[in-house]
Amino acid sequence: MAECGSETATGAKPKRKPIVWLGIFLISHSFLFSVVFSAAGVVALLLLPVLAKNTYISENALMPGSVASMLSNQEVAEANRLVNDLTNSNSKTLGSAIGSQRIIAQHMSNLGAEVSFHKFHPQLNQFHPLHFFSSPDSGRVEQNISCALHGVNTVGIIRAPRGDGKEAIVLVTPFNSAKVNPNEAFSLGIAYSVFSLLNRVPWLAKDVIWLVADSQFGEYAAVCAWLRDYHTPVFSGLGTLDAEMCPESNNLYEMNENLSTERAIYDGFKRAGTMAAALVIKVADRSEHFEDSLGIYAEASNGQMPNLDLINVVNYLAVHRQGLRVKVEKLWSLLGLKWLKTLGEILESLGHFARSLNPNWKFGIPAADYVEGSATLASSLYNQALGIPTGPHGAFRDYQVDAITLEIFPQFSSLENIARRNDLLLRSARLIEGVIRSVNNLLEKFHQSFFLYLLTSPAKFVSVGVYMIAFALLVAPLPLVAASLYVNSSNSDSSVKKGKPASSAIVTLESWKWLYATKKAFIVHLWGSVVSLLPYFICQIPSCTPTTSFAIWVSLSVLSLVVMYMVLASPSSHANESQPQREEWPILKSVTLSAAFTGLCLMSVINFATAEIGGLLMVPMCLMAHPLKPDVKARSIRTLSRAVCNLILGFIGFPPVAFIVLKAKFEGSGSTNVGDFWSWVESLWAWNSATYLYIGMVHLPCWALCIHILFHRS
Amino acid sequence: MEAKTEEQSTKRKKQKHGSFWTWLAASVLFRLVLIYFPKNLNLSSRPEVSTPLTSLRRLAEGYWLKQSSMSPYAGSMYHGSPLLLSLLGPLTVKRIEGQPNHLLCSLVFVVADILNAMLIRATGQTLQVAYWQSLKSLDLDTISESSEVLPSGDIAALVYLWNPLTIVACVGLSTSPIENFAIILALFGACKRLVPLAAFGWVMATHLSLYPMILIIPMILLLGYGPDTPRKLLLLRRYGKAEDDTSIDSCQQQERVINQSELPHVFSWRPVMLFLLWAIVWSAYVLFLCGVSAKQYGSLWEMFERMHGFILTVQDLSPNIGVLWYFFAEVFDFFRNFFLIVFHMNILFMIFPLAIRLKHRPCFLAFVYITISSMLKSYPSVGDSALYIGLLGWFVNELSEMRFSFCLFSVYVGVSLLSPVMHNLWIWRGTGNANFYFATAITYACLQIVLVIESVSAMLNHDRKLRKLSNTKIHVDKS
Repeated sequence: MAECGSETATGAKPKRKPIVWLGIFLISHSFLFSVVFSAAGVVALLLLPVLAKNTYISENALMPGSVASMLSNQEVAEANRLVNDLTNSNSKTLGSAIGSQRIIAQHMSNLGAEVSFHKFHPQLNQFHPLHFFSSPDSGRVEQNISCALHGVNTVGIIRAPRGDGKEAIVLVTPFNSAKVNPNEAFSLGIAYSVFSLLNRVPWLAKDVIWLVADSQFGEYAAVCAWLRDYHTPVFSGLGTLDAEMCPESNNLYEMNENLSTERAIYDGFKRAGTMAAALVIKVADRSEHFEDSLGIYAEASNGQMPNLDLINVVNYLAVHRQGLRVKVEKLWSLLGLKWLKTLGEILESLGHFARSLNPNWKFGIPAADYVEGSATLASSLYNQALGIPTGPHGAFRDYQVDAITLEIFPQFSSLENIARRNDLLLRSARLIEGVIRSVNNLLEKFHQSFFLYLLTSPAKFVSVGVYMIAFALLVAPLPLVAASLYVNSSNSDSSVKKGKPASSAIVTLESWKWLYATKKAFIVHLWGSVVSLLPYFICQIPSCTPTTSFAIWVSLSVLSLVVMYMVLASPSSHANESQPQREEWPILKSVTLSAAFTGLCLMSVINFATAEIGGLLMVPMCLMAHPLKPDVKARSIRTLSRAVCNLILGFIGFPPVAFIVLKAKFEGSGSTNVGDFWSWVESLWAWNSATYLYIGMVHLPCWALCIHILFHRS
Repeated sequence: MEAKTEEQSTKRKKQKHGSFWTWLAASVLFRLVLIYFPKNLNLSSRPEVSTPLTSLRRLAEGYWLKQSSMSPYAGSMYHGSPLLLSLLGPLTVKRIEGQPNHLLCSLVFVVADILNAMLIRATGQTLQVAYWQSLKSLDLDTISESSEVLPSGDIAALVYLWNPLTIVACVGLSTSPIENFAIILALFGACKRLVPLAAFGWVMATHLSLYPMILIIPMILLLGYGPDTPRKLLLLRRYGKAEDDTSIDSCQQQERVINQSELPHVFSWRPVMLFLLWAIVWSAYVLFLCGVSAKQYGSLWEMFERMHGFILTVQDLSPNIGVLWYFFAEVFDFFRNFFLIVFHMNILFMIFPLAIRLKHRPCFLAFVYITISSMLKSYPSVGDSALYIGLLGWFVNELSEMRFSFCLFSVYVGVSLLSPVMHNLWIWRGTGNANFYFATAITYACLQIVLVIESVSAMLNHDRKLRKLSNTKIHVDKS
C-alpha cells in the first residue's frame, strides 16, 4: 500500500492529499524509517514476554473444576489390575503383541464398552509438500504402504447416556504392544481408570473414545492412520481402507473369534460422532526430582495450535485442583545467556521506574521471569516454525480437532512406591476426568478463545494482535524501500530523458521497464521451485548418506540454475534489443524487496513463526543489498563497512549456513556437518511442513537475487 | 508471472512470427500437461475458479437430471444455459479408460482458449492498423518510427494465453472460456464489421452470462464509427488543414485528403440497424432452441428464472472472489431487494458517463465495461479477470505510460496467492474466519478499480499527447 501511495506522489504534484503527502514523506526518508522500523520490530519481539497476558477461560460453558471429582480408589484399584495383567503378560514371552491387545480389549469389554480393533499399515515417508494446502483426506496416497508391516489399534467406545451420538471426546494412549513398558502401562492405567468411571456416570453427553494406539511404528503414524479411516468411511464390507489393499489373511479377525468374552468384539470400524477434543496421555521415562509435574505439548503441523481454552482448562485443573506443576517446553540454552539476563534487568528497572511515576502502570516483570518467558517463547516460536507436530496430537489438528498431549513426569522413583504411584494415578485420572467433564459441557466446538498465540508460560500467552505488530514493523521497510528505489530510478531516468530531444516519442515503455527485472526475479523463483522439487528424485536414489544427498542436491541446483539462465535469461537473447534495456540494480532490488515482502506476508498467514524467523534473517539482507564493486572502489569507511556487512549477511542468509550457525549456537558446538541439513530438510518435507516451501520458494530465491545484486556489474 | 508473458511478448517483436506460434504451442502443451494431473491440483473445486454458474460439476449434475427426464434446474444445482447443457453435457459422461475424467471437456476448453487467443490477435491487428492510420493522418508516423509500435495483437493473445488466471480457469473445468469466447467473438465481429457474427456473439454472450448485455453500447459505437481512433483530433486537423490549404504542396495535400476520407468520420447508421436486426433474429433463434430443449421439462420462463434470475437475485451466497456474497449474507432480509437494485444499478450508472467520455475509443470502452462488470458481478471468477487482462494487451501502445503498473502487478500477484491461503485458513484449518477471505476479495476489488482508473486516465493522457504533438506539427508545418 505504501507503494501505491508513493506512486501517486510522483503523479500528482500540484495538489497533494494528506495520504499522498504521507507517502512522499515516508519515501523520501526511507533510510531513516527503515532503520527505525526494523529496529522497532526487533525490540517489539524482545518485549513480547513483557507484553504477555495471563490466560483466562473464555468459554463460559466449560466451568472447569466446578464439581467435585467422582473418581475414587475403586477405579484406581481396577486400573492397577490392568497394569499388573499387562506387565505379567510381558514376562510371558509368547504372543505378547497380540496378548496385550487382548488383555486391554477384554478389560474394556468387561466394562461394557464397545470394543473394536483397527488394523493399519504404516505409511512410508512421502514427498508431498503441498499437502497442507488441500483438505486432509485428498492427500491420501494409497500405493505407499508396505503390507508386511501392520499395527493394531484397540478402540473402546462408551456411548453417552445423555448424548445423541453426534459428538465424541477422544483419549489416546500410545502403547507399544510388542514390548510393554511400565510407563506406557501406567498411562494405560490412568486412561482405564477414567474410562471405567465414565462408563458409570449419568452426566456424559458426548461419547468417549479410548484409542490405544499401537506405537511400534511411531505414535503419530498410528493415530494418523486411525483418524484417516475414521474420517473416510468405506461402505464395502469388513476391514478398513488400508487393510483392503493388502490381501493377506487377517489373523486379527481370527483372534476375535477365540476371544471368550460374553460380548462379541465387533470386527468392523466403530465410530462415534465428530470429535470435540482429544487428549493424548503419556508418562515420561525421565522423572522429575522435586514434584510430580505435567508437560503440555500443543504444536501441531505448520504451527497450528489448539484452542487456547483447552490448554487453559488443563492448566487450571492441574494447578488449582490436582497440585501438579505444569510446564511447557523451553529452549534451555537461552536460560544462561548473559545479555538476555541484562535485558531482563533493564526491563525490570524500567518497570519499577514506570511504577514510581504512576502506580497504575503495570509494566515490567522480574528479570528471572523475563528470561524464562523468552526461553519459552523461543521454544514456542521454534516448534511452530519447524511445522512438525510435537506429538500425536498433531494428527487431530488436520481434522480441525483441538488436541494436546499431556505428558506426566512422575517424581523420582514414585513409580516404584505403590502408595505414591496410586496417588499419582488418582490425581492424573482426576485431571483427565475434570477436563472431560468440562469439554462435555461444550455446546459447540471450541471457538471462543485464541487459535493464534504463542505461549510464554503455561499461564501466559501472546496473542496474534500483539505479535503481529512486531512482524509488521519488521517487514514494513521492505515496501517502503522498494517504492523509494523504484521512484528514484524512474525519476532519474526521466531527468536523463528530458535532456534528449526524444521526448516526443509516442510509445515510451517508461513505466514498464520493471518487466526485465521482474522476469529475472520470476526465473529465480522458478528455479527455487525446481530446487524444492529435486529432493523428490534424490531421495529415490538407494543407499545415500545425508552428506552425499546434500552434495547431489547442491550440484543439481547449481546446474539447473545455469541451465535456466542459459535458456531463459541469457544476455544474448536480448542483446539485440533496440532499446538498451540493461536493467539497473535499483529496479532489480526493488523487485526483490517486493517479492520478499509478498513471500513473508504470505508465510505470516500460513505459519507466523517461520515468517518471523525468516524475516529476521532476510530483511537485513535484502535491505542492505548493494553492488560490491562501486563500494570497494570508493574506499571510504562507510562503503567498505557496507560491503563487509553485505558479505556477512549474504553468507549467513544462505539456508544451510544459517541452519548450521543456529544449530551450533543453540545445541552446542557438537559435530555439525552439512548432512544434518539434509536430514533436517527431509524431516520437514516428510511432515508436510510449509517451512520447507518457504525455504525453497521464498528464502532461497531472494537470497540468490541479493547475491546477484552484490555481484552486479554496474 | 503475467509480467513474464508480457515480457515474452515484448521480446517477440524482434523474432517475428515464428516465435508467436512457438509460444502458442507451448501454452497448449502446458495446459495438456496440467490436465493430466487433475487430482493433484483439485482446481475444479476452488471457489476462485468454479462459481455456481461456471462449474462443470454442476453442469454434469444438470445433464444427469435431464437424462433422467427431470428439469436440469431442479434442486438449484445447475444455473447455466440449456444450450451449454446439450453441447457439453454428453461430453461429461464420456469416460476414456485410463484417462482423467472430463478429459473431453478439458480439451473443449483448451480449444476455446486457443480460439479466444486467435480472435484477440486478429482484433488486435485490426486495431493496430487503425492506430497506424490515425497516426499517419496526423502526420505523426515519422515520429512513431523512432520508437516503434508494439504488435499489440500478438501481445494481447500471448498475455491471454499465458496468464496464470486463464490457465487456471481452463484447467479448472469452468465454462468461462466459452463465455469469454462469445464476448470476444462479438468484439471481433464488430471490429471486422461482420455484423451477423457480431450480433451472434453478443446474443450468445448475453444469453450465457447476462452482464455482456451492456456491451451493446461499445458495439454500436464500433459499428457506427469504426475502430478506436482519436477522432476529434482528426476532424479538427482536417478543418485546421482547410485553412492553410494554400501553404501546402497540393499533391501531398491530395494524398492526405484521400487518407482521411478513408476514415469513416460520421456515424453510419446502416451497420447499426443491421446489427440490431440481426440481434433480434439471433435472439429469436436462441430462444427457439432453448424453448425446444426446455419443452420436455418446463417452460422458457423457468429457464429465465433459474439462469438470469439467479444472477440478478444473488441466491447463492457461497464465498467467491467477489464482494456481493458477504454483503448479502449480512444484510437484513427486508433490505435485500433494495440493495439488489442498488448494486446492479452501480454498473448501469457507470455506463453512460463512460460512453460519453470514451465514445471515440469503443474497444477500450468495451474493456472498461468488462472490467467493471467483472468487479461488480454477482458470481465473478478468475476467468473474467483473465479476459480483461488479455484485452488490456490491445492497448499496450496507448497505455505505455500507465502509472502504477508495477504496484498493480505486485498486488495482483500478492492477492492471487493470498486468497487461496486465506480460504484454506478459514475452511480447512478453522483458525481464520470469513473476514480473512473477504479482506482479500475487497483488496481484489480495489485493485480492479485502480486498474480501471489508471488505464482510463492513461488513455486520455495519450489522446492529449497526440493532440499536442499534432498541434506542434502543424505549427512546424506552418512556419
